Amino acid sequence: MPTDLGSLLVQLFSGLSRAMMLFLVSSGLSLIFGVMNILNFAHAALWLLGGYITFSVYTALVEHYGVSFVFLVPAVVAGTLALFAIGLAIERTLIRRMYGRELPEQLLLTFALILIIGDLIRLFWGVQNRRIILPIEPLPILGTFMNPYLFVIMVIGLVVAGFLWWFLARTRTGKIVRAAVYSRDMVSALGIRIPIIYGLVYAMGVAIAALSAGVFLPIMPIGLGLDMDLIVQCFAVVVIGGFGSIVGTFVASLLVGIVYSFSILIWPGGALAIIFIILVAVLIWRPWGLFGTEMRF
Amino acid sequence: MINGLYRKLDLSIRVLLVLAILFLLLPLLPGRFPLVVGTEILILGLLALSFNMIYGYMGQISFGHAAFFGLGAYTSALILRPLIEAGQLGYLGFFLALAAAVPISALGALIVGFFCVRLTGIYFAILSLAFGELLFYIVFSWYSFTKGDDGIQGLMPPFVFKSGVIYYYFTFAVVGITALLLRKISRSPFGYTLRMLRDNQNRTAFLGIDIRRVMLLNFVIAGAFAGLAGALWGPFQRSVSPALLGWHQSGVPVFMTLIGGAAHFAGPLVGSIIYTALNAYVTQFTSYWPLTIGLIILCVVLFLPGGLLSVIDIWVHRGRKADT
Repeated sequence: MPTDLGSLLVQLFSGLSRAMMLFLVSSGLSLIFGVMNILNFAHAALWLLGGYITFSVYTALVEHYGVSFVFLVPAVVAGTLALFAIGLAIERTLIRRMYGRELPEQLLLTFALILIIGDLIRLFWGVQNRRIILPIEPLPILGTFMNPYLFVIMVIGLVVAGFLWWFLARTRTGKIVRAAVYSRDMVSALGIRIPIIYGLVYAMGVAIAALSAGVFLPIMPIGLGLDMDLIVQCFAVVVIGGFGSIVGTFVASLLVGIVYSFSILIWPGGALAIIFIILVAVLIWRPWGLFGTEMRF
Repeated sequence: MINGLYRKLDLSIRVLLVLAILFLLLPLLPGRFPLVVGTEILILGLLALSFNMIYGYMGQISFGHAAFFGLGAYTSALILRPLIEAGQLGYLGFFLALAAAVPISALGALIVGFFCVRLTGIYFAILSLAFGELLFYIVFSWYSFTKGDDGIQGLMPPFVFKSGVIYYYFTFAVVGITALLLRKISRSPFGYTLRMLRDNQNRTAFLGIDIRRVMLLNFVIAGAFAGLAGALWGPFQRSVSPALLGWHQSGVPVFMTLIGGAAHFAGPLVGSIIYTALNAYVTQFTSYWPLTIGLIILCVVLFLPGGLLSVIDIWVHRGRKADT
């Protein structure tokens, strides 16, 4: 196990960038549950879809105009917007019918969505893993090398987190969303059209997840089955942080991301197990998470 | 309809009687394929019946139930494989392998259930999924013990059971007996306590019932029967793999119960027939089975959440006078 400062630092940055991605995906999941009381099992599958769309757009641009990492920007934007639209469509056609239903039926619907989306991805993109190779020089840092793109991910993560905070804290719509987390009925009673809010929240949550997938693409190849890996980690993050709380999600993502990253160093097989143990511990002793509200549990 | 006794039986028993006759007559169909599908229907039907103890009777949805199925399968495989390699496979070894799967998977259910029953609803679902994935991951990674992704190959039932017909009737007997056992459990005071738990946990607690203990006991029973189903699966398929513990496999009993109807005892079995037959049929034409079943489940959840038996129930009762 490499213990020199350089390697540890690289591992830290790797963990932080992973934490950023986890945060972006999980914040959507947390918000959707907080506002709509629907556990979006298919969240990671939609994340994956966003990644694949970003990949296709980037590859198409590169084939026509040559390699340049600038092309990542329109690719990521395309993926985000596409998933915003898809999220809206899914919410209006499927999720909307589930609001009054029993919990198991809601879970089953989103579970079925995982299968459908996964197979549609397989239909359009095949079974091979996809990745993007960006022309970036490795950055020498304290005796070892690091991919400077990790900094880009961290910055983007912070920017989007900042945007999310600004949206929720400073805009009227955002405040409505926060109010809806607290009490759906009161918001509706005040004359605000809840279905529109729901559609917006779902689409936004999914779009942000797609953005994180696209941004993370140069670091990590995506493939089928990755969504199940991720959804368990997202559950861990959202449960530890508390459903509906963005701050909680942020803190929990940092925790899970860094723990995961350093576990890879110490005990590679046990990274998931450690996160899992934390998840179980939180579920037993404080099921509403670090920052969740007790009454929501 | 036959009068007298038949009239007094409820829908599930009627369905079970009809199915039993059909199952007994199945080997009359030509070829090996019906036998293979039939055995698969029976084993997975048992898995689904055990799942419904948690879902239909206790009201919680578990997305990690296949983990116990896989535990049972691996237990029987790990016992059978050395016996086969040593050429020592006999009836004793075979039944030992089947019998050993039950306590092992019950133990697994005890450990997992201990944590899961402390929660309900969404948290129960998430935790059961996470545990399922954890157990899958353990089996997948522990190469020295379970051979990981390679799985355990070359499993075989002994002597007469090698014959498809004999194994089919053996499975029918085992599944039939356990199904009757499960029915007995569901109609016992314990079973009604479960229904109470499903409908209103707080009230059940007020009555002085230890909720955690009841839920855990039910979870263990369900896990044990799932393990038995798994033990039958290994020699049938001639191999086991870690995928038997994964979330794909966990979805199978859930879908079966949904399709057949969770509110009726025979629902999961009916669902197993539909699901397995559909699977056997569709996979001949396309490899996009997850897409197919996903769409079917979507439609069932949206339009027919009570499953097939709920439709039949309404249809049967339409001609009757007012019933309780």
